[in-house]
Amino acid sequence: MNKYRCIFQMGLEYALEYRFDFLFSMISCIFPIIIQFFLWSAIYLQPGASIDNGYTYEQMILYTLTAGFVSKLVIGGFEYEINEDIKNGGLNKYLIRPVHYMRYYFFSFLGKKVPSAVILLSAVAITTGVAGIALKTAISPVHILFFLVSLVLALILNFCLMFCIAMYSFWVTDVSKLFGTISIVLVVLSGGVFPMDLFGNVVRTVSHILPFCYTTQFPTDILTGRLSQNAIVSGIAIQLLWIVLLVFIGSLLWKKGLKRFISAGG
Amino acid sequence: MIQVEHLTRNFEYYTKATGLKGSVKNLFHREKLIKEAVKDVSFCVEKGEIIGLLGPNGAGKTTTLKMLSGILFPSSGSARVDGFIPWERKDEFKRKFSIVMGQKNQLWWDLPACDSFYLNKCIFDISDGEYRRTISELSELLDVKDLLNVQVRRLSLGERMKMEILAALIHRPEILFLDEPTIGLDLISQQKIREFLRSYREEHHTTIILTSHYMKDIEELCPRTVIINHGQVVYDGGLLEMNRVMGDKKRLTIKTSAPIDPSCLAPFGTVCSLNGCQATLEIARNNLTQVSSRLLSLLPVEDFTVTDIPIEESVALFYQNR
Repeated sequence: MNKYRCIFQMGLEYALEYRFDFLFSMISCIFPIIIQFFLWSAIYLQPGASIDNGYTYEQMILYTLTAGFVSKLVIGGFEYEINEDIKNGGLNKYLIRPVHYMRYYFFSFLGKKVPSAVILLSAVAITTGVAGIALKTAISPVHILFFLVSLVLALILNFCLMFCIAMYSFWVTDVSKLFGTISIVLVVLSGGVFPMDLFGNVVRTVSHILPFCYTTQFPTDILTGRLSQNAIVSGIAIQLLWIVLLVFIGSLLWKKGLKRFISAGG
Repeated sequence: MIQVEHLTRNFEYYTKATGLKGSVKNLFHREKLIKEAVKDVSFCVEKGEIIGLLGPNGAGKTTTLKMLSGILFPSSGSARVDGFIPWERKDEFKRKFSIVMGQKNQLWWDLPACDSFYLNKCIFDISDGEYRRTISELSELLDVKDLLNVQVRRLSLGERMKMEILAALIHRPEILFLDEPTIGLDLISQQKIREFLRSYREEHHTTIILTSHYMKDIEELCPRTVIINHGQVVYDGGLLEMNRVMGDKKRLTIKTSAPIDPSCLAPFGTVCSLNGCQATLEIARNNLTQVSSRLLSLLPVEDFTVTDIPIEESVALFYQNR
């Protein structure tokens, strides 16, 4: 286990090495939230508006803020590195060492997450605290605990999802554009922009089966108090199920893909 | 220690005609072509032996090494490295060997080399004491003690290559594959790396396969050479015996006081060059005395030298042939 702790630590060192990049990535997550804030304000606060989508104005703003922070927290980023590894032969260095590639990237991903997680979790805590006072709702410690559990699982789930997508690099040489497209679609599907419930019952039902909304909307809904205890427990079970399934699919793709690896260059 | 039998590896590729027309055509249809990067390569390396793997660019040296280190699957054939089949990628096997690739970076680019070393230490499960001993010994030998804490991307090529070698030796591998470790380095750095490899090998008896385009590397380090061309082994033996295989010839240069008539030289051997009063001939070694004495009596010879055919030229012949 020692080696993966070291990989975790190195990911952390890596994240701290480039301070400005880190700073800007934090700042960049604020803009979409601001845009959405004005958008929802315009929709809800126009004279004579009566909106019946299950969210009050305050709830919607709270959702937007929390989901914005959560989706930034679980987002990948390592898929470009994997693509580079496969395209240009950087994968060599992992293949010749007694280290498990998927686990390597997982622990390095976690390590790189630490600084942003500290900041984003503080942002979530402040948002929740302010909302609690403003809306006069109190969040129970049990829900906070559930939120943290689901957040960790969401992080793992999103990792597995992106790892599987990154494996596509074995079949198509350059997929960085594809990653860009997929990451936008995923943010929407995961409920990072607005809750999927807005689109009616069919979409809601489908989104409850697919893994995507369990990376962002599910933890957000726990924290904003929209879910019953039963729904939370079954949601966590589905998260676990998807993780197991995606780990399996990921390893399968890895094994198949490696047979195609040509270790180009040099 | 290393047995390679009928190892073959094909790559699929496709071509694109120059210009936009070719690109548009490739959008719809790409004809698959097959390149046999390595075909039917067989050789053996004994424990503790060091061999040089030579061959022109694209001959299949790197591909062979990549298969021996399990990075690539072969298309057919077999190989065993210390009893292991490399592409099964057993952890136990990975602890036994190391590969240094002159054209590939294995260190973590944005962190100092010592961080990469430490990660290797953790990955290979090396005790703190042994790790510290190895680092201090090797960084001393390679003369990089002051650079251990500098970001790898800020190092010069020569410094980085030394770090790559150091990183590869942290787990004390029994087998070492060196793929052009001196590529692009200046003469002094090349010399340093050669000296390091020699003294390291004397001490640790590591089995080494070395590829290089610098004949000096091979001459100084490898008593035995395997030459690969077009994916096939074309020579396996000592570098010095290569001449014997190539026809066992000597090169004879004469300088005369009067211009030489080309026709009188022809019966003695192959005329390599003739330039007024100076001529170079290639003749069979066992004819040497006979030819020399007849030449000396026939022509007004002022100067007379006999040399071996330079190794570079013998090797170049192997590169061109077949």
